[in-house]
Amino acid sequence: MGMIRLWIFILTATFLSSCSTQYAITKSNREEYSINDKIEVDSAIVRTYLPYKQKLDQEMTKVIGHTSVLLTKTSEFPESVLGNFFADAVFNQAKKLEPTIDFVFPTTKGGLRNDISKGPITVSGVFELMPFENQLVLFKLKGSDVLIILNYIALTNGQPVAGLRMNIKDKTPENIYINGKPFDVNQTYMVLTSDYIGNGGDDAKGFANPISRKNIGLLVRDALLKEVAELEFAGKKIEAKTDGRITKN
Amino acid sequence: MEELQKTNRRNFIKAGGILSAAFALNINSFDAFATGRLQKITILHTNDVHSRIEPFPMDGSRNQGLGGTARRSALIKKIRAEQENVLLLDAGDIFQGTPYFNKYGGELELKLMSAMGYDATTLGNHDFDNGIEGFYKQLPHANFEVLIANYDLKNTALYQSTKPFKIFKKAGLKIGVFGIGIQLKGLVDPKNYGETQYLDPIAIANATASLLKNDHQCDLVICLSHLGYKYRDAIVSDQVLAASTKNIDLIIGGHTHSFLTVPEDVKNLGGQITTINQVGFAGINLGRVDYYFEPGKKKKLKLSTPYEINNWLDKS
Repeated sequence: MGMIRLWIFILTATFLSSCSTQYAITKSNREEYSINDKIEVDSAIVRTYLPYKQKLDQEMTKVIGHTSVLLTKTSEFPESVLGNFFADAVFNQAKKLEPTIDFVFPTTKGGLRNDISKGPITVSGVFELMPFENQLVLFKLKGSDVLIILNYIALTNGQPVAGLRMNIKDKTPENIYINGKPFDVNQTYMVLTSDYIGNGGDDAKGFANPISRKNIGLLVRDALLKEVAELEFAGKKIEAKTDGRITKN
Repeated sequence: MEELQKTNRRNFIKAGGILSAAFALNINSFDAFATGRLQKITILHTNDVHSRIEPFPMDGSRNQGLGGTARRSALIKKIRAEQENVLLLDAGDIFQGTPYFNKYGGELELKLMSAMGYDATTLGNHDFDNGIEGFYKQLPHANFEVLIANYDLKNTALYQSTKPFKIFKKAGLKIGVFGIGIQLKGLVDPKNYGETQYLDPIAIANATASLLKNDHQCDLVICLSHLGYKYRDAIVSDQVLAASTKNIDLIIGGHTHSFLTVPEDVKNLGGQITTINQVGFAGINLGRVDYYFEPGKKKKLKLSTPYEINNWLDKS
């Protein structure tokens, strides 16, 4: 090894010993790709999912009803067309099993997972709106616990409900009517919700100390599927709308 | 080879001898210095894909026609053909959202992610929707890592099925990736998360990132987070995490289904950049962050940012 080479080694070694052994980031470039129809399809992936899809499609593409309006949600207003449809459908179906229900709060706004477009409704459409396997649970509650629920609903700028009307003022409930009668904190109420909310999901409050609690044996999604199919059988379309059940002034 | 070279160099510095240096410094390291050769890592990422196997149906809904695993896979293959060093990561909530999950329990989602060559994901709250056992049951279909550092799962079926972090080696670089999950109480039915213990995300993230960057000498540290991008209340989010920690270069976020126009660069506790990115949900978008590295000394902070940032790619 010649002297020059040795010197290069020494210089390099000196340089290196003053270095971090890690690499240093010198630049970062970022990009986001939209996955749309301009991108080709990987046929290997399609081949993998096709058998699953065919089996599923047989069950899911069946049209079970129709809606004459777009069922859509909003977080801006305290009630939405989709939320009202959802709560009314659950109320109608659950009342057949439990006629004593005062009001229903079957999902949070966050639980409305997809809109349903105007026109035919498929099984798949209902699954995408309500994909979760939640059970409907009936709570007998003290008025003071109901008030906690109403406060939660007001604080979160309204939630999907049926059998309940109220106004939200400064994030608190007022002019409350339950089952057509003014709310009385000294009464007990029969409140239907999902096991998810009843167990404190989405930080819902007021269900922790019930007088009684029972599972009514109906999945939330099944209530929706039944309602859609029954309306279709009766030759009716869904005509959901906002009706001022929860206002904010 | 490059990995070996770097290890040797480190050993040499400890030994401090010129002769061992002469032995350790092979031709490759000379080339790297002489040409100033950059190393480049490409990070691709998704979050909250929510069982969206096929594109959204053409039914007039907001996202009609968008997404789909077959297209995502084709795009990833195209990028892999152009880039040598790709890491493909996900930030959780693989499960739930289409009937594919209700009918098949997540099997297909994990199979397709495996086929696309995902390297790692973390646990989202919806990944608990069929319970701990429901996730565990599908794990044989996943050939990638499930990384979660702030859930103690030792009393659950997932014990030893997840790791807090993993170090990936690409082009002689070490990339440390770890996972951080959201508080499950109040969000997931207790019967579904069972004995999972939630640990403070900031303390755990700080400790894990320090372990990766300082002890394991990772060149890049990535956090897969399902905390959510930001909140009005003082709830821990990716923004809070970024500002309250150091040693994290990139947070790949999820949970809030946030469509960021461009990634957000936050000054972290160490005065360095922590970048937050999240790409909506349902596989509508694929995120990409390229990092270029130079071997050797970390540059002194001259500008407000210690490295160049562009919201575009270099022309290849």
